[in-house]
Amino acid sequence: VRCQHFPPLRALQASAALRRASDEHKKEPLTSSSQQHFDSPPAGHQPDQKPQGPHPSYTGQGGQESEDYESEEQLQHRILTAALEFVPEHGWTAEAIAEGAKTLGLSVAAAGLFHSDGSELILHFVSECNTKLSELLEKEQKLVQLGEAEKKPIDEFLRDAVEARLRMLIPYIEKWPQALSVLLLPRNIPSSLNLLTSMIDNIWHYAGDQSTDFNWYTRRAVLTGIYNTTELVMMQDSSPGFEDTWRFLENRVADAMTMSNTASQVQSTGEAVVQGLMGAAVTVSNAETNKAVR
Amino acid sequence: VYQVFETVAKKYDVMNDSMTLGIHRVWKDLLIHKMNPCPGTLLLDVAGGTGDIAFRFINYVRSVRQRQLQRKLKQHQNLSWQEIFESYQKDKFNSLGDSQVVVCDINREMLKVGKQKAQHLGYSEGLSWVLGNAEELPFDDDQFDVYTIAFGIRNVTRIDLALQEAYRVLKPGGRFLCLEFSHVSNPLLSRLYDLYSFQVIPVLGEVIAGDWKSYQYLVESIRQFPPQEELKAMIEDAGFFKVDYENLNFGIVAIHSGFKL
Repeated sequence: VRCQHFPPLRALQASAALRRASDEHKKEPLTSSSQQHFDSPPAGHQPDQKPQGPHPSYTGQGGQESEDYESEEQLQHRILTAALEFVPEHGWTAEAIAEGAKTLGLSVAAAGLFHSDGSELILHFVSECNTKLSELLEKEQKLVQLGEAEKKPIDEFLRDAVEARLRMLIPYIEKWPQALSVLLLPRNIPSSLNLLTSMIDNIWHYAGDQSTDFNWYTRRAVLTGIYNTTELVMMQDSSPGFEDTWRFLENRVADAMTMSNTASQVQSTGEAVVQGLMGAAVTVSNAETNKAVR
Repeated sequence: VYQVFETVAKKYDVMNDSMTLGIHRVWKDLLIHKMNPCPGTLLLDVAGGTGDIAFRFINYVRSVRQRQLQRKLKQHQNLSWQEIFESYQKDKFNSLGDSQVVVCDINREMLKVGKQKAQHLGYSEGLSWVLGNAEELPFDDDQFDVYTIAFGIRNVTRIDLALQEAYRVLKPGGRFLCLEFSHVSNPLLSRLYDLYSFQVIPVLGEVIAGDWKSYQYLVESIRQFPPQEELKAMIEDAGFFKVDYENLNFGIVAIHSGFKL
């Protein structure tokens, strides 16, 4: 029994832009009876210059018989990734998404797939950054396990991880305050909070078990506080190479280390930090709306 | 159908206003807002005889373009007066940003009224008027960014053919938008709506346009039209993806949207 991604009727339509994974792998399409959509190549298909990873097939049976059109979600991902290039110029807006769609050979109307305030674009970007951070930390861990690198002390590890993650914002730093205010919209808060906490948890996971001084909840709050406050400092930082920001980060991490003496101390500071970052976030969004109004 | 609209053409706009108590303007505004077109979009408005959608599209694109140009100028703070003057000149000729609307209708009279309206309201650039049948459009494949059909699809005999044609003429990534009367599920509202439709509208038709029969036909065709889910399935059958609908006024009107992906 083949499991198909789309209901059988839809699978017969030749899709215009959803690409066949078989194009990527240059496979010979099987002429089984239900595979009539292999007849004509999708219209408007733009050959990609850069190599793409293999699209997952949706059957259990074996790649060749699979329903190997990419899904709508994958196409949306591709559009958002392409749109990132236009963010410095257009901001996190439907216009950037429209430009991104254009580079993929799609109509600008494809931007209608997404919300007009660019939320999905920003969330996509954050998610991509988190993935990149994960991969970076994974690589470092492998090196340590192979004995090719020294295991970093906890404060250095946290500092490097946060710095690496924040550096990913640098190409978009001008429009990032706008993105932050969109992420604070009630509609987006569940997703953005989710992404934030999973990133923080991820960093702690790779930090290993040196962190026995903290208990689990305060660990999250402390690092979240460090990350958010450093991010806000970075928005206002005009020093060369953001050196003021990295120094601020170093100080905050050092503070956290000295705080780890008593559990209760950490807990109350964690709460204060959360309140502080909420206030800071509101300030940022107000500043951003004021700027927009002007 | 043809004869209905021939007689109706001249009084079409007036009747729309009186039948829907002016709300149809809001519905059409919402359609364009949902479309959120950016400058450079090519719109095909089918069964758009008197140009309501087309004019709203042009207004929207113009204001978006204005904002774009303002933003660009703000970034260029250090230009000399000469440079600013030159950039104004250049952009003045591109106030629509290459956006265009093609209004297609099966009925010559409706197009004539539309053209007159355009002249009267001062819309000159970016508009084309084409005579054509929604079931067999006189356009090549992969031409348009957006296809709209506002209050026209219920008059098409073979809706599936019209949907297939829509799919054909849209570019990959293009959007299909349909604004149409639909099914009211709320029972109380549905009864009021029926009352209004069958008692009031044909009377208005007789009084304002001198034509009871056409408006009787109109109300009946609305009842005959497939409800939201069914239309959604038909649009999906034509090959569109991410098909969705939005009810306006509890389902009196619905906007269906699909993408050619």
